[in-house]
Amino acid sequence: MNRRRFLRTAAGAGVVLGAGPCPFLEELYAFGPSANLSDVEARYYRKLPDREVECVLCPRNCRLGDKERGYCGVRENRDGRYVTLVYGKACAANVDPIEKKPFFHFRPGTTSFSIASAGCNVNCRFCQNWEISQVRPEQVRHSDLLPEAVVAAALRTGCASIAYTYSEPVVFYEYMYDTAVAARRRGLKSAVVTGGHINREPLEALLEVVDAVKVDLKAFRDGFYREYVRGELKPVLEAIRTIAAGKVWLEIVYLVIPTLNDDPAEIRDMARWVREAAGPDVPVHFSRFQPMYMMKNLPPTPVSTLEKARAVALEEGLRFVYIGNVPGHAAENTVCPGCGRTLIERYVFDIRRLDLKDGRCPYCRTAIPGVWT
Amino acid sequence: MAKPKVIVVRVRGILERSGDIDPARLRRAYERGIRALTGAASLDEGLGRLFRPSDRVGLKINTIGGRKISTRPEVALGLAAAFKGTGVPDKSILIWDRTNRELRDAGYALSLGSSGVKIYGTDTDGAGYEDELYAKGNIGSLFASIQSRFATASVSLALLKDHGLAGVTAGMKNYFGAIHNPNKYHDDHCDPFVAEVFAAPPVATKHRLTVLDALLVQYHRGPAYHAQWADRAETLVFGTDPVATDAVGWRMIEALRAAHGLPTLAEEGREPRYLATAERMGLGRGGSDAVEVVEEEA
Ligand code: SF4
Repeated sequence: MNRRRFLRTAAGAGVVLGAGPCPFLEELYAFGPSANLSDVEARYYRKLPDREVECVLCPRNCRLGDKERGYCGVRENRDGRYVTLVYGKACAANVDPIEKKPFFHFRPGTTSFSIASAGCNVNCRFCQNWEISQVRPEQVRHSDLLPEAVVAAALRTGCASIAYTYSEPVVFYEYMYDTAVAARRRGLKSAVVTGGHINREPLEALLEVVDAVKVDLKAFRDGFYREYVRGELKPVLEAIRTIAAGKVWLEIVYLVIPTLNDDPAEIRDMARWVREAAGPDVPVHFSRFQPMYMMKNLPPTPVSTLEKARAVALEEGLRFVYIGNVPGHAAENTVCPGCGRTLIERYVFDIRRLDLKDGRCPYCRTAIPGVWT
Repeated sequence: MAKPKVIVVRVRGILERSGDIDPARLRRAYERGIRALTGAASLDEGLGRLFRPSDRVGLKINTIGGRKISTRPEVALGLAAAFKGTGVPDKSILIWDRTNRELRDAGYALSLGSSGVKIYGTDTDGAGYEDELYAKGNIGSLFASIQSRFATASVSLALLKDHGLAGVTAGMKNYFGAIHNPNKYHDDHCDPFVAEVFAAPPVATKHRLTVLDALLVQYHRGPAYHAQWADRAETLVFGTDPVATDAVGWRMIEALRAAHGLPTLAEEGREPRYLATAERMGLGRGGSDAVEVVEEEA
């Protein structure tokens, strides 16, 4: 395979993410060239005069003439019919610990069959997976892995869930949705890892078929979103509100970038808003930034900055606040808000000890919110 | 400082009733355009002033619109043929765009041989994109290796069209097809993205000539083809200043819009602001007083 020909292989995506793909998957599914993209009709779009369409899946609401693609690069107007090019086209498929997403209160210690297609509806300057998220589907190798095949592979590899992750699952919505439906039929859960740029109607429909959503809240200032994400803050906050109002488990990750979104006042505003809009039990992960993609000019986040952010969030009443990407940090652990004992001890993605009984602290019986079984 | 020159060559009758192109008229148009642009006595001499015999010349065309509204094969092959007398061998000329599928859909027969003019897309085996990300300003992109490695000199042989987001697509925006992620650069009317992609070394250090194919101009509701807003303008536009050439293209679009009773692009809030940005970045000059426009008939 020529690197100039394909930006990344599926295995490469694993490398990008810091973990290898499931070895048997490489044998089972040949990741091949992407000449044959899918032609499945998109579910959220409006037909307009003169063969134009308006995609209404995400807040960009791209309006497109014939043969044009949306901002995400994976949806195309074909003579007035809007199609997704990535249905069943997994450019990454790995068996990951659920903690890697990260979900800390959702089936801890289990693995999640994790898939992605190419494409994303924003363009974060600090994206860690830009080699699959910021490309068109014909620029990466992928496997033809239809929903039933994803479910079969997840069951065969002993996973408890399927995760839609790495790039931005909103842009492979139809693929994700149908896989989640098939997964539920076979007793598997579905976990979505998203930036939260999605319109209300498709989000509400999605929430009917998935079990957990992790939203990357990238800052609490719209200016940051516009400049460094190429998105907007408001729709993300609306999505978080919608998710929190439903039955699906929600966690939030906030990547702390030195000098750009680490002001304690901003963190305080964010924590206060989360408490009011989603409740104090939503786990919030402050994650450490590493320089990459278009943002190589800043240093990794000092651990003290993360600790300060965590302290502010705890002061504002959030009850489960974690620090991520700092292996061995005590704030990787889950502590009972009732008695202060450590209930889940983690090291990076490993669960070293899990001390919960029926979702409660075994010492003081405080209920610990989450999906534990 | 001398004003940049832009040559507008009107070639009445070049589009035959069938839609085919009259090759003799096309050749004459190239001759007129290049001579007027360079001040040379002949087409060979004119192209010889812009290109060296040792150059490998990339002719970047635009085929996203399919057969109805793409750079026509006759136009691209005609320009390639015009290099005959310059010492640049056929095998050093590559007509290219993003994908082989788009090239085929626009009527091109692919040609990958070691002799003769080459025609192929970036997705051809052995072509593809650079490994290294070009990251500067608002751009984070991989350049097509055709642009960054094969070509030592590059021509933007672009279609002139109205563009719903950019305002106008012409010679500068044509280089969006030289990067892997043009879909990411249509916010804010493609400003400053068009200028910043052009300013990247793989383009800025190699671009020698813009030729705008304005034979059939989509002056409204572009870039897709809509017959009711497409004008048989039968014009080719030549320039070495990329900003000036596109600015003249923009004025042509405005003239067509006015003639058909349509509002200006500014009135629709989508004038091609990237041209002013490009001018500020020193990539060329675009103001109507700053450009010498020469009109020719061929
Ligand atoms: S999903 Fe893609 S095409 Fe649809 S509105 Fe969002 S960016 Fe545009």
